[in-house]
Amino acid sequence: MLKKELVFRNPLRLMGHETEDILKPGGFGAVLARAGLGKTAILVQLALDSLLRGKKVLHISLTDPVRKICLWYEEVFRNIADQYNIQQTDQVWEEILPHRLIMASNIEAFSVSGLEKRLADLTEQGIFHPRMLLIDGLPFDETARATLTGLKSLAKEHSMHLWLTVRTHRHEAPGPDGIPAPLLNVADLFDVVFQLLPEEKEIHLRTLKGGPSDSDSPSLLLDPSTMLIKDKGD
Amino acid sequence: MKDIQKLRNIGISAHIDSGKTTLTERILFYTKRIHAIHDVKGKDGVGATMDSMELEKERGITIASAATSCEWGEHEINIIDTPGHVDFTIEVERSLRVLDGAILVLCSVGGVQSQSITVDQQMKRYKVPCIAFVNKCDRSGADPFRVIRQLKEKLGHNAVAMQIPIGLEADLEGVVDLVSMKAICFDGDKGENVRVGDIPADILQEALEKREEMIDAASMFSDELMEAALEGEVTEDLLIPAIRKGTLAREITPVFMGSAYKNKGIQPLLDAVNRLLPCPSDVENRAVDPAEDEAEVILSSDPKKPVVALAFKLEDGQYGQLTYIRVYQGSLSKGDTIVNVRTRKKVKIGRMVRMHASQMEDIEKIPAGYIAALFGIDCASGDTFVSPGISLSMTSMYVPAPVISFAIIPKDNKAEISMSKALNRFTKEDPTFMTYVSEETGDTIISGMGELHLEVYVERMRREYGAEVVTGIPRVAYRETITRRAEFNYVHKKQTGGAGQFGRVAGYMEPVSDEDFVFESRVVGGSIPTQFIPACEKGFRARLKKGPKMEFPVTGIRIVINDGSSHAVDSSDMAFQAAAKGAFSEGYAKAGPVIHEPVMKVVVETPTEFQGSVMGSLNQRRGMIVSSQDEGVMCVIEAQIPLAEMFGYSTVLRSLTQGKAQFTMEFAAYKRVPKGIAEELVRKAAEGKKKVA
Repeated sequence: MLKKELVFRNPLRLMGHETEDILKPGGFGAVLARAGLGKTAILVQLALDSLLRGKKVLHISLTDPVRKICLWYEEVFRNIADQYNIQQTDQVWEEILPHRLIMASNIEAFSVSGLEKRLADLTEQGIFHPRMLLIDGLPFDETARATLTGLKSLAKEHSMHLWLTVRTHRHEAPGPDGIPAPLLNVADLFDVVFQLLPEEKEIHLRTLKGGPSDSDSPSLLLDPSTMLIKDKGD
Repeated sequence: MKDIQKLRNIGISAHIDSGKTTLTERILFYTKRIHAIHDVKGKDGVGATMDSMELEKERGITIASAATSCEWGEHEINIIDTPGHVDFTIEVERSLRVLDGAILVLCSVGGVQSQSITVDQQMKRYKVPCIAFVNKCDRSGADPFRVIRQLKEKLGHNAVAMQIPIGLEADLEGVVDLVSMKAICFDGDKGENVRVGDIPADILQEALEKREEMIDAASMFSDELMEAALEGEVTEDLLIPAIRKGTLAREITPVFMGSAYKNKGIQPLLDAVNRLLPCPSDVENRAVDPAEDEAEVILSSDPKKPVVALAFKLEDGQYGQLTYIRVYQGSLSKGDTIVNVRTRKKVKIGRMVRMHASQMEDIEKIPAGYIAALFGIDCASGDTFVSPGISLSMTSMYVPAPVISFAIIPKDNKAEISMSKALNRFTKEDPTFMTYVSEETGDTIISGMGELHLEVYVERMRREYGAEVVTGIPRVAYRETITRRAEFNYVHKKQTGGAGQFGRVAGYMEPVSDEDFVFESRVVGGSIPTQFIPACEKGFRARLKKGPKMEFPVTGIRIVINDGSSHAVDSSDMAFQAAAKGAFSEGYAKAGPVIHEPVMKVVVETPTEFQGSVMGSLNQRRGMIVSSQDEGVMCVIEAQIPLAEMFGYSTVLRSLTQGKAQFTMEFAAYKRVPKGIAEELVRKAAEGKKKVA
């Protein structure tokens, strides 16, 4: 019951997606923002949504150590539970933990072939079959296309969908359709793109691509105190 | 006592059989502390000087660290010989806590082995600067440069050769010093005559190339050296301070080489200790102030300040307890009064000695930075001593929790007395070794860091204390608890002649997550007279010790009594205790009792190439893999695994990873045993009962 309530209450619902995955197997999603706006918080909310529905999540961080990622999960989970006054979450937390695996590595050591090997280790021995893969901190430079293409076929092969964070920079001008610079040459690979934008004192969450209806997405904010998505009207 | 700048506290750490005891022995010989050389496993039956325990001599391994001091040139060097086996790592950890620098000994054939990896991790934890010595260059298959590559690749060190060998394997003659660009050979029966000459022409080119590499690495730490290198005017005076700076920051690891057994390369290594490793004042030591919410205080090596000293090792010698101590601040003199911060007891210092393995030299004073031993001090390992009036504690030493335990049963009465004496001593000496008496079986249980760790203590009991004991099989501490609320209403009535017994206890029990046992009385109107309420609690508590389901202790339970009845004559403490016991059994059966087991947080550090197989091995043990973190060549995997599945894991891990991985494990939480396993436990318990019957 509690789990169902948490799924229903997940702020992601505000984005117009019902209780299904935003992406299809093999699909790509991106969360774009400048440094420090809350990309990881959004990733963790996406992950918790999957975890609560019993789907396994592999979270790969190329910037933060495992300990820090764990703290993100604990914090976001507690905030969701607090916000909706859901008691006795310990048991739910215990139930979702086996569905989560965190891997931390540094950017230089990360490669698609390495990940392929790791995934083979995990799946062939029946240790872990992720349905959702999160990669936080992948650099979007000139080699990104090759890496992303490799990841795309890996995602298809393992029937999982993939979310990535993309760091944008103030000085880089966006493309003609509003797609920020780092994504310009690879935008075609992505099905859904969200962007966090600071406007005055608020952080807005915009859907740049994909979503239930591209033009009609509700006006959403990221609450800086809880790092949860909230409706502007709340 | 020397100027503190000329003092070195160093450790010699390495993989078992890399020859560190032989190396220590040679150092003591060249520094004229001993006058003859005995080899480990020597034919003369004497054994190396540092291994003072009989058992160590027999097994050819070093178990206890013996501290010893010697002089080289104008410097005084205190050496702690550290054990090399993984099961004794507390000894290594403790030594590293009091050391300022270390020599990492590596075998030129075996290279960077699993224990070198462990020791390196420990050095990193305590930020101990080190120099490396590639030993056994006389052995066939020796390749010091392969070892240097491994230092870089496997341990991530910026390893730089300071020497190249002259000849290798059986032809090893000496080394070329790349700083002075001279050939150094070792003449005389025991290599005591150092002959410095020109570099043989056939290796001159190689020496020049390696010197370039060394200068390149060193110039990162000195602009002056970098300029001099560009102009081709590098001098020894520029090189040494730059390399020392890099070494102290742990950003460069100078590598020396030779063969301790063949008496080659030891004297230059001693020079390097003097020139490159830190003196006590180069190292920042911190203590915590318990009065100020454990705020950190930086200690100064000023001998005039109040004393702060750490007892890091105890030994039971023929003259009583010997306490090895390092003074971090102030100075200790004979007759001074100091306070043990843990016990708040004042102690007067009697005899003070400097140790040289099993020989000792009386001293009057220990200034800051020095290591010495005290007689007649009653304390435990890791205790801090301070001057009266101040309250500082050395940061608590990292003490890993014990991971394995088994029962020991003395063979006879005499053995029982000796066993208790031995256990008392071992628990004081080694914080990772613990002992207690099982309430259930009455057996003495010992717990420690691994099977070998406990076996060595069992052996020491036999040899040093004459206590013959039989060891039992390892056991896991299961628990029982309930999963739902259940009510009880139990009448205890006995009328079989004489005074009767009567009591009725009613209420409910429910699970509670953060407490072992909560008892609450909501009885109103005196249905249970107030004087019998404690008897009810006592009755419930008595049942907690052995749960009705499996006879494991019951935890996480809240019992509320809200009704009952009594009899003016027949009610008594005993009657209500019995009623509570009955009520417990009645409620417990309805409350969905389950078995819980200790689940451990297991952290494996493994070279990345074994990541997949290590994860597999953890998964097979009902483990939940939480995370993996790549740290260059190594990878750290964290998992949660039931303790019951962890017995024998060290052997499995060793064989899976060619001994290159290590794991630590600590208690995480009690979690419910899966149904299948619980049934198995019930079946086993029933079998056990049948056997007893």
